[in-house]
Amino acid sequence: MQDTIKAKNVPARGLAVTQASDVTRDTLELNADAVIIGSGAGGAIAAYELAKAGKNVVVLEAGPYVPSEKFTEMMAVSMDTLYADHGGQANSAGDIAILQGACVGGSTVVNAALCFRTPDYYLERWGKEFGLTNLTPKVMRPYFEKVEANLGIAPNKAYETSAGAQLLKGGMQKLNLPEGNAHRNIRNCAMTGFCFAGCKSDRKQSMLVTYLPWAVAYGASIYADTRATQILAADGKASGVLAEIVDPQSKTVKCQLRVNAPIVVGAAGPVQMPLLLQKSNLNGNGQVGKNFACHPTLSVTGMFEENVDNFYGATHSLYMDKYTMPEDGGYLLLDAIQDPVEASFQAEPGTGKPYMSYMSKYRNSVRLITLIHDQNVGEVNWNNGAKEITYFVDDKDFQIMKAGLKTNARVLFAAGAKQLYIPTSQKLTIDSVDQIDAVIDSLDNEPARYRYTSFHPQGTCRMGADPDTTVVSPTGETHEVKNLYIVDASLLPTSIGYNPSETVYALAHYISDQINRAHG
Amino acid sequence: MSDQTKEAIDQINRLSRRSFLKAASGLAVAASLGTGLLGAANAFAAVPEGIKVMSASEYQVMHRLMQVTLVTQGTGLVPASEIPVMQTLDAALLATMEPHILEGLKGGIAYFNDGPRAEYGQPFVELSDTQAAAFCDTWADADEVPQRALAMGLKKLVGLAYWANPPTWTPLGYGGPVTEKWKLESLGNAPLPKS
Ligand SMILES: Cc1cc2nc3c(=O)[nH]c(=O)nc-3n(C[C@H](O)[C@H](O)[C@H](O)COP(=O)(O)OP(=O)(O)OC[C@H]3O[C@@H](n4cnc5c(N)ncnc54)[C@H](O)[C@@H]3O)c2cc1C
Repeated sequence: MQDTIKAKNVPARGLAVTQASDVTRDTLELNADAVIIGSGAGGAIAAYELAKAGKNVVVLEAGPYVPSEKFTEMMAVSMDTLYADHGGQANSAGDIAILQGACVGGSTVVNAALCFRTPDYYLERWGKEFGLTNLTPKVMRPYFEKVEANLGIAPNKAYETSAGAQLLKGGMQKLNLPEGNAHRNIRNCAMTGFCFAGCKSDRKQSMLVTYLPWAVAYGASIYADTRATQILAADGKASGVLAEIVDPQSKTVKCQLRVNAPIVVGAAGPVQMPLLLQKSNLNGNGQVGKNFACHPTLSVTGMFEENVDNFYGATHSLYMDKYTMPEDGGYLLLDAIQDPVEASFQAEPGTGKPYMSYMSKYRNSVRLITLIHDQNVGEVNWNNGAKEITYFVDDKDFQIMKAGLKTNARVLFAAGAKQLYIPTSQKLTIDSVDQIDAVIDSLDNEPARYRYTSFHPQGTCRMGADPDTTVVSPTGETHEVKNLYIVDASLLPTSIGYNPSETVYALAHYISDQINRAHG
Repeated sequence: MSDQTKEAIDQINRLSRRSFLKAASGLAVAASLGTGLLGAANAFAAVPEGIKVMSASEYQVMHRLMQVTLVTQGTGLVPASEIPVMQTLDAALLATMEPHILEGLKGGIAYFNDGPRAEYGQPFVELSDTQAAAFCDTWADADEVPQRALAMGLKKLVGLAYWANPPTWTPLGYGGPVTEKWKLESLGNAPLPKS
């Protein structure tokens, strides 16, 4: 069948999307072969692979359709329009900002495009611990190769860097730490530094300009402003989805939508996916929402004597992964450029004058991120009708963070920084290399003490062979309901310590193949 | 999790059962609000006629916090009084918050204002500049979780509302958006893969 499907042309720009403003009826019923919930990394890949195989696909996306030319390149405005909860999503203690995209294209529209293959270590560990013996490095390799080719994932070219990354690279070299050159899904990077605000000139190969237009070329329909509210199942089999089309301005429901489909693919992401399953009473073994991990990060800001102007360039171009595997330490260092809004909350130098003096030195600042491979200790649940992400940094993980912060601080000093700001609630600076250990050793694992950011929520519907301890089978189908598949980052059985988008792309592709095989 | 951490979390929960902190998630937002400015686009477009979400007393607390936090004297930065900080905060950050989160945050603002009474015999709005700054720093380093969360969170809100306004960038040497300035051509959609 696959060979007989003819694709329409992909338009040069833009995406055909049905939005709330296009809908005039109160109720709408659609029939499809497959309905996909969410249009981010997982959903878009599934939409394309299923549509290409001849299926009539409907994609439901809760967020708005924002065409690239409307991206503002202002972080605050972009957060408002493109992110979950307008950038305000957090854990229940409020000390971890949990960022996710919420628009057509999902987090891929706002991510930094850094790509890593899933390390063999995890694929092998998932085989041993979760019975995922099907996801061997050999099986997965062609999937990585395919998405890499499709998304132009390639090592950064020499010029694709930033002033701060160059300094940090020097620091890593001085300390004999390996400097990792990022691989990114970017073509002809224009080095604006606005990955997190959406790539206005479409160099980032996000789902918005790749898999989604390709899926549409194979006949998929995309509904934006459309939040799935219930997964329908009868006799243990998925049968469709109920959704609401919501006017983005007034927030009122314009239309109740029902999609009847014998295949339902969940790709709402690791926070919304478990909430939707729980709301649909599909949590027979109580595992849905458990095992949440999020790769908490802390940024150390270094002040240099000279103006570094680390705000235009490649958002990420450098990493240091000598200690990333759990046996080696469990943390990753990543450079990142920052705009003033981001810089404004990376440190607590003291109230009033000291804070404004810190901000006055914005041009001298360079931040380096420490990201940890965390234990899956969190949960996502409903609490009185509102979502709740219960996650506290585990004590053991905090020790890992401290080890990472020490290396982070050493790199910044070796790069030439004169003073470092630690992102704690109290005033805390490190003024010389010999203070690093004492200052960082004094940190305790306390809530509301650190300015954590998570860019990588994961888990919550983990994949595995055991139907009592996992949610999704090795082929991506839920243990509880047949023909209900999950393809997003909620699948990951453990956190992986590296940025996860390529893992999601490859797993979504793998599961789509399983779907196509089972429903030829 | 250590006993100390558990105790701190229990403390949040105990507090959140009390009336001044009905929803702990209000703190959550205050403390961790990314760089998100709800409705920021609208806030920049027009200076709002008035403050609509904050009550008069909440406005006073946040305005005082702005004066204490955003001290531009002796720097080349734009005085906060020349930037619609409070309007941005109200229209952009608070206006479209989920009701339960906003309720928690409002409780938090009241709690914060009452905070200095024990030590200074006065609410936050009546403290001198030096006292107010010292109070913020003491709470940021407090043993009580809600105090830390509020000291960090409320300051962060005020900071975001200031730095999100483009005129604040010029003295920092930051140029803002570039695609149009640099005349970058859009590459548009990627062509369909061959296989
Ligand atoms: C700022 C940022 C930077 C990042 N940088 C990197 C990076 O450099 N490298 C990397 O590897 N990873 C990065 N990531 C992470 C990466 O983008 C994600 O891991 C990946 O996109 C997750 O894919 P997903 O399919 O699970 O979810 P998403 O891509 O987030 O897509 C989920 C979609 O589902 C929609 N949705 C939610 N609920 C519903 C519902 N009920 N009905 C319909 N639709 C719904 C959401 O609106 C969203 O669009 C970053 C993420 C962020 C936020």
